[in-house]
Amino acid sequence: MDGAYDEIISDNPFFVELKNEYTNLFQHCISQSWVVCVPRIGSLTTRVFTVEDFCAHILVPSDELPETNYSTLTEKQVTVSNKVIILEVTKELPLQSHILFEETFYTEDFLKYKVWCIESPLEPTRNVGDNTITKEYLTSINDCIDLLWTQAAGRQVLDQIEQSVQVFLKKQPSLPIAIGPLKDAVSELYTQCLQYALQNRRLREKSKACKQILENIKIAVECYMQQILFDALFKPICTCCSYEDSHLNKKIRNMCDIQLRDLDIKKELYHAVPKAKQILSKIDSYNTVLEKVLCLKQALNAINKKDSSNNVVLLTADDLLPVFVFLVIKSGLPNWYSQLTYMKEFRFSGVGRSDGDESAFLITTLEAVIEHIQSGALAGPPDPESYYYESNLTEENLNNRQRKNSLTESISTSDTNSRDETLEYIFELVKANHTEQIQTILLRNQRHLESIHANDNNMLKITLESDLLNDYDEDDDSGSDTEIYQKLCHPLCNCKKCCSKISKNLLRTSPTVNSRDSHGLTPLHVACIHGKAAIVEILIEMRAEIDATDLNECTALHYAASRGHQNALLLLLHSGAHINQANIDKNTPLHLAVNNGHLNCVKALIYFAEHSRKMIMINSANESGNTPLHLASKWGYEGIARLLIENGAEPSLQNRYNKTAFDYAHNLKILQVLKSVTPNLYEYIHITTSDVKVLNYRNDKNLTFKLQKMTLRYQDNNPSKAVENLKLIDRILKAISYGDVKLACFYMNINYADYVDDSNQLKDSSCHPLCECKMCKKKTESCTEFDVNFSDSNGFTALHYASRYGLDELCNILILNKANVNCSNKKGQTPLHLAALNNKTGVIRVLLDNGANINAVDITGNTPLHDASDMGNIGAAKILISYGPNMTMLNGSEKTALKIAKERVHLTIIDLIEKHANNS
Amino acid sequence: MSGATNGSYNFKVVLLGEGCVGKTSILLRYIEDKFNDKHLTTLQATFLNKKININGKRINLSIWDTAGQEKFHALGPIYYRNSNGAILVYDITDEDSFGKVKNWVKELKKMLGSDIVLVIAGNKVDLEHERTVPLEEAESYANMVGAKHFYTSAKLNQGVEDLFLELTREMTERHDRNAQADVSRTSRVLVVEDEAPAPSSCCSGAKHN
Repeated sequence: MDGAYDEIISDNPFFVELKNEYTNLFQHCISQSWVVCVPRIGSLTTRVFTVEDFCAHILVPSDELPETNYSTLTEKQVTVSNKVIILEVTKELPLQSHILFEETFYTEDFLKYKVWCIESPLEPTRNVGDNTITKEYLTSINDCIDLLWTQAAGRQVLDQIEQSVQVFLKKQPSLPIAIGPLKDAVSELYTQCLQYALQNRRLREKSKACKQILENIKIAVECYMQQILFDALFKPICTCCSYEDSHLNKKIRNMCDIQLRDLDIKKELYHAVPKAKQILSKIDSYNTVLEKVLCLKQALNAINKKDSSNNVVLLTADDLLPVFVFLVIKSGLPNWYSQLTYMKEFRFSGVGRSDGDESAFLITTLEAVIEHIQSGALAGPPDPESYYYESNLTEENLNNRQRKNSLTESISTSDTNSRDETLEYIFELVKANHTEQIQTILLRNQRHLESIHANDNNMLKITLESDLLNDYDEDDDSGSDTEIYQKLCHPLCNCKKCCSKISKNLLRTSPTVNSRDSHGLTPLHVACIHGKAAIVEILIEMRAEIDATDLNECTALHYAASRGHQNALLLLLHSGAHINQANIDKNTPLHLAVNNGHLNCVKALIYFAEHSRKMIMINSANESGNTPLHLASKWGYEGIARLLIENGAEPSLQNRYNKTAFDYAHNLKILQVLKSVTPNLYEYIHITTSDVKVLNYRNDKNLTFKLQKMTLRYQDNNPSKAVENLKLIDRILKAISYGDVKLACFYMNINYADYVDDSNQLKDSSCHPLCECKMCKKKTESCTEFDVNFSDSNGFTALHYASRYGLDELCNILILNKANVNCSNKKGQTPLHLAALNNKTGVIRVLLDNGANINAVDITGNTPLHDASDMGNIGAAKILISYGPNMTMLNGSEKTALKIAKERVHLTIIDLIEKHANNS
Repeated sequence: MSGATNGSYNFKVVLLGEGCVGKTSILLRYIEDKFNDKHLTTLQATFLNKKININGKRINLSIWDTAGQEKFHALGPIYYRNSNGAILVYDITDEDSFGKVKNWVKELKKMLGSDIVLVIAGNKVDLEHERTVPLEEAESYANMVGAKHFYTSAKLNQGVEDLFLELTREMTERHDRNAQADVSRTSRVLVVEDEAPAPSSCCSGAKHN
């Protein structure tokens, strides 16, 4: 596919004649290792050659510069540079000719000679033949279109290809999601397109005349076909590769901190990396295999540049691979595996040639790079602290006694620099998971601090005089901290000796659980980075600051999440770590866990939040406006995306570049996950944007029911916010339908505990209108920002559900939180209707006590009593009747409650109603 | 559209060996006849093409250089699959690099069997006085595994050309043999088309010139 010019030299008439007719000259030429230039076939008009013609094409290397300077046998000077022969002609401009290729010939007796196939004859006078050699290299889709257009003298071939692609797509509206069948189908289409192209008379003749043109036509046809087919083709390919891609992304995300030096890349290449990276990241924007491969080539060529001192840097395979690995990691492309598969499997014009051409080499190199990253041979991400701590502490020398001794020494000598050193040592202990040692050191240091604190009195009196210190004889230096105070003459003594003992003690700086290094890392951070759960536990026990942040405002929770250490993460969460803490880039731990593809941590975060009734901000946006769902979608983490969607993530939110998660989804699987929520949502949005709904029911009967507008509560023009609310209400209603009052309260941001302890007091609502006791205050202030009157798409509020499922406790709570007792759903039903229908006597009482309209009518004209009669709910009917409803009301079918009860033969209810009617 | 189109052979050759044994230098020496020169027309020494014509047989060599670092060893199969020949380079002053060659030979034999032509090159003979790999050991090993052994010096341009020439001849021979075997095998079953013997017929024609 590199499209380099090629022809069989031994068939070239010029060469044949030289060899056969001028054998002596030819033999001499060989024996002298002169270079023979052969004008390419078709570039010479005549078939009759003279001796001069041949002599003009035989180059004799000069003595001084045999590589670049030659003279012909006709005594003309020739220079060669960058594969161009320049012939110095006296009167005209210098004549130039490209060397198309070089072929080294070996004779039977292994004499070697070189033949250069050149573009045009080295004879200025000679009339140049048909100049049909078109572009040697096709480099873009435009080149391909040009070729097909000009060579066929018209658009018809292009149109035919386009048409067959359209037919192909129509025939198969959904392409198979498996590479094998996909490749076969496209390969068939390619053959068909090529047939169309070669049916064109002009193209056929030209391709017969020159093999080169045929090759170029093949490439052009393939390219044009791919260009049209790309959109339909690439998604299925991505879908096939989604698993590999997401795994590769996970690997790449987890090593995105990697630096050039980590890959042993030569310093001379550093300068070229940004440029190459920029070129390579454009690979995504090309649609054809030709252009993608070319992009790879350009990226690699960009590395082949001069270094800072202008020396040419020769790129060898040893250098190339690490740089390429780096470029791929840093490119930020989410679908490398799909790109590779596309290039590898959908390159038809190259098939048949050996596997060894340059495109194959480039693709293979990319494959090797991806394989290398995938294999995890890159030893994982370098630890952030490894940049400033050379870790030389292994298990082995840790056990070494000497090291231990030097450690105790470094702690006991009051050297001010020992702080950094020992903190570093602690970090290394953490890394090596030496639980006990850490515990002893930190505990000792803590005790030391406490003892200082305890002897505050003494401290105040101490003056730090150097001579005092020098005088002091250091016999008890090895004593532990607590002992120091025991060694004083008296706990309150301040003689010289005692003072110096104490001051020495004070000067000692030793790391504690909350010590930080120059990057703001505490031991807890380091333990989380390395996922040492046991150490995290100890540190937490020792009251390490859970939400301590480092320079990047990352907490330990951020590190545990981004490194995928679920155990450490859970320990932190249970110890009260702030779950929504944002770091300097406004990334929450959830962002980091999602970005690095740690499903276990995402699960831990979400389930913990749900379980502990904490709100996790599932749609929080980071600095670039990305929500966790954006990241999951971009990197193709299907499982995580599904989990996020199930927990209320909103795919239609836009980031700073106005992209939604949908825009980032590059394969069908992810798209499907994202779409799994949306159909309902669009319905919701539709409803929420409509204004007041007035439904006139049976005008002739003057029964007009105004339906309550269910939308006014969030006339927010931001649909996604409305959608979020709708999803929330769905969850609330679901919780209520399961009877989980606590969960429902949690979702509504109501503190359930406030209501439990004194639920018996709830009935008498307040002590006094102006009372300010705890209970009453709660009642008035407990209204949260969440409006409990939100309704779902059918107009059901939480109160409706609580009534339907008979949760009187929740009804009370809701009413206290200003729930509207008379709000009606789409069918005009109030909560009381639902309670009556479902015979929830407790709820009926609560509702009626709190001002529910006993004569409320739904759109069919039924009052709650109608409903109770209809269902034969004796309990409900009894209570309703006891509150004195209007029993003469007619429903839409002009029936009273009594009539309905009679129709249904609910004897008890008939009895109840008649009794009441008689009494009143 | 077979492996040998229009009577020319296309061969893929991989260069394998430890880092710093001079794989790249050998390659450059052969293609451009230069040794670590500044005047190279191609700056990328990882993939190079060479057309040669031995006795009328046109051969197009695609020579792939590979990374020698140990960490990339696992990527070997990606590079050497479908290759017709392999040049295993070691440094005569470095015994470890010879051990590495032995590993490669074992691996190649296992993965590709006898489909691949092996050539072992002891590079840096200009440093003969520092030799640590014994001459006899290297040659008898090459004999044992059925590989040709060459001493080369990319610096002094010794043996490089011979190495490639011998490799190419061996590959051509083996290709012809396989093609004939294929023909005889297929002809016993069913004669479909006479595409396969095309190279041999063309070459025999060329011999008459």
